[in-house]
Amino acid sequence: MSALPRLSTIFLAAITTLVALLLYSPLFVPIVSSFFTISHGNVDWSSPTLSTYVALAENHDILVALRTTLIVGVCTVILSVVSGTLLALYYHGRRSGRSLLQFIIFLPFLMPPIISGLALLIFFREIGLERSLLTVVIGHTVFVLAIVYRTVLMRLQSMSRTLIEASYDLGATGWQTFWRIILPNLSSAIVGGAILAFALSFDETMITILVTGTQSTLPVRLWAMMRLGFSPDINALVALILMFTVLLCVLAARFLIPRQVATERT
Amino acid sequence: MNQNTDLLTLRSVSKSYGTVPVLHDIDLSIRDGEFLTVLGPSGSGKTTVLRLIGGLEPLTSGEIRLDGQDIGRMPINRRPFNTVFQDYALFPHLTVSGNVGYGLSVRHIQRKEIARRVAEALELVQLGRFADRFPAQLSGGQRQRVALARALICQPRLILLDEPLAALDLELRRQMQEFLKSIQREIKTTFLFVTHDQEEAIGMADRICVMEAGHIRQLGTPHDLYYKPNCEFVARFFGENNLVAGKLGPIQGELRSIETPLGHLICSISDQPHLKVAAEGAGAYAAFRPEALHLADAKDTDNRFSGTISDMAFAGSSTVVTIAAGADNAAQRLRLRVPSRVDGSALKSGEAVSLSFAPHEGHLVLA
Repeated sequence: MSALPRLSTIFLAAITTLVALLLYSPLFVPIVSSFFTISHGNVDWSSPTLSTYVALAENHDILVALRTTLIVGVCTVILSVVSGTLLALYYHGRRSGRSLLQFIIFLPFLMPPIISGLALLIFFREIGLERSLLTVVIGHTVFVLAIVYRTVLMRLQSMSRTLIEASYDLGATGWQTFWRIILPNLSSAIVGGAILAFALSFDETMITILVTGTQSTLPVRLWAMMRLGFSPDINALVALILMFTVLLCVLAARFLIPRQVATERT
Repeated sequence: MNQNTDLLTLRSVSKSYGTVPVLHDIDLSIRDGEFLTVLGPSGSGKTTVLRLIGGLEPLTSGEIRLDGQDIGRMPINRRPFNTVFQDYALFPHLTVSGNVGYGLSVRHIQRKEIARRVAEALELVQLGRFADRFPAQLSGGQRQRVALARALICQPRLILLDEPLAALDLELRRQMQEFLKSIQREIKTTFLFVTHDQEEAIGMADRICVMEAGHIRQLGTPHDLYYKPNCEFVARFFGENNLVAGKLGPIQGELRSIETPLGHLICSISDQPHLKVAAEGAGAYAAFRPEALHLADAKDTDNRFSGTISDMAFAGSSTVVTIAAGADNAAQRLRLRVPSRVDGSALKSGEAVSLSFAPHEGHLVLA
């Protein structure tokens, strides 16, 4: 970069700032406007207020939807973490069939959600499974499994094979090796994967709309509110979901990016 | 500990990965309490021998006997051996004492007893102050010592070391060599040490087992291997050597002659019965070390030949002189080591010299 003339550096900086503003400023609009009231379609900028948040907290439907979302999220995390970790452990070190399995696991994640959702919907109808929170949890698990499987498998692959050999060599059984060596070394990857899975489940809309029964999750609730018209509590809800998701992603990154341990030499 | 009894015996042990054989019919006895080094170039199968003994790889055929009992099929975690891995394989989520105590805690030994023995083991490797550190906070040499303490705390019958010094720099490697040797003397446990570094092998081993291409070429003391190599590979691999091809001549007591392009040479065959039974005219090499070769004076009548100095290389305490000898002073390249002098050697490149070595300092190897 230092080779570039000063003028072009300034020009590049200006372009970058402009692009960033255009792309990301819409995200801040609902956050900012959630602190102001709207009357007759115009935002009243004169008096900042938390009234939209108060209204949100008093909205029974929203609170129910939030509870549903949390239940679905927790169940999805448990299911996807257990099965994703087991799949990764089972297929680690195995050559045959791994790429096929990987492909299958990633398919629902990469396909348009509406296709995954429809496929699941048809499947549930064929086997006669009533649409409920259970079907939502299954749908979410199928969707987020790829993330958990991938993060755990990556960690397993970066773990030295000799750690396991050393454990056996020191007299440990397979069970002891799993609980005392393998699992602790996977734990941060599992936690990171779980947080990402939760964030994905929290925001998932398309599949949920298709496979849910009578209950709706927060994004689905939001979708329904939007159809009835733009109300100020939507701003508050969007702002909250946005902040919560950002928080989860920051948290996940902390667990997934290896921490640099200072090496002291004496 | 009696160094004359065998602790572990490998009998016609073979190992293949798929259809690729890596060990061919290995026979090896490890004596109780000895420091045995397995030495060989990469791909010689030396690490495989260690992994078979440790139980990290299954045998293809043959048997491994411990105190006369076949343990070839015994699972790795029941064998009374412990390994020091090349990458140390310290558990990153456990502290130094957690690592060292692991072998005891998986056997459900009482906490108090574990703490006492961990402290003891750390004292032995001089790491008492580092008990609460994590492996990532240690230097290479310290990690190495943690790995050693972790292996010896279980009081194994045999400690297997897989090129444990390969990752250390030269100075530290020398220190660790002495350290390992002194620990081995102190705890009187049998060490099986795998390395490709012959200097390391000479410095530490009671006996050395030289391997090449999945075969054991020679097993003996460092002195034996250096002065009585039994084949061309060992003669070339183990230390610097001059080898001159020729045909065996008659035996004269403990000496035997060989006809070479350098003329009629006489070499020692003491304690090497296979050289006494070899037929006259058989192909062989006369082998003599660079430090055994010297500029001939009037007294030297045996093993005398002439050559031309083609190159001189200063190597610190000594200077390596390369000499072209044989027909037209070109057919044979020989190396000669002379002590270095501050004002330079009296020898000059291109100079014609007369050389000799004493018959008892030369040896023969069959081609």
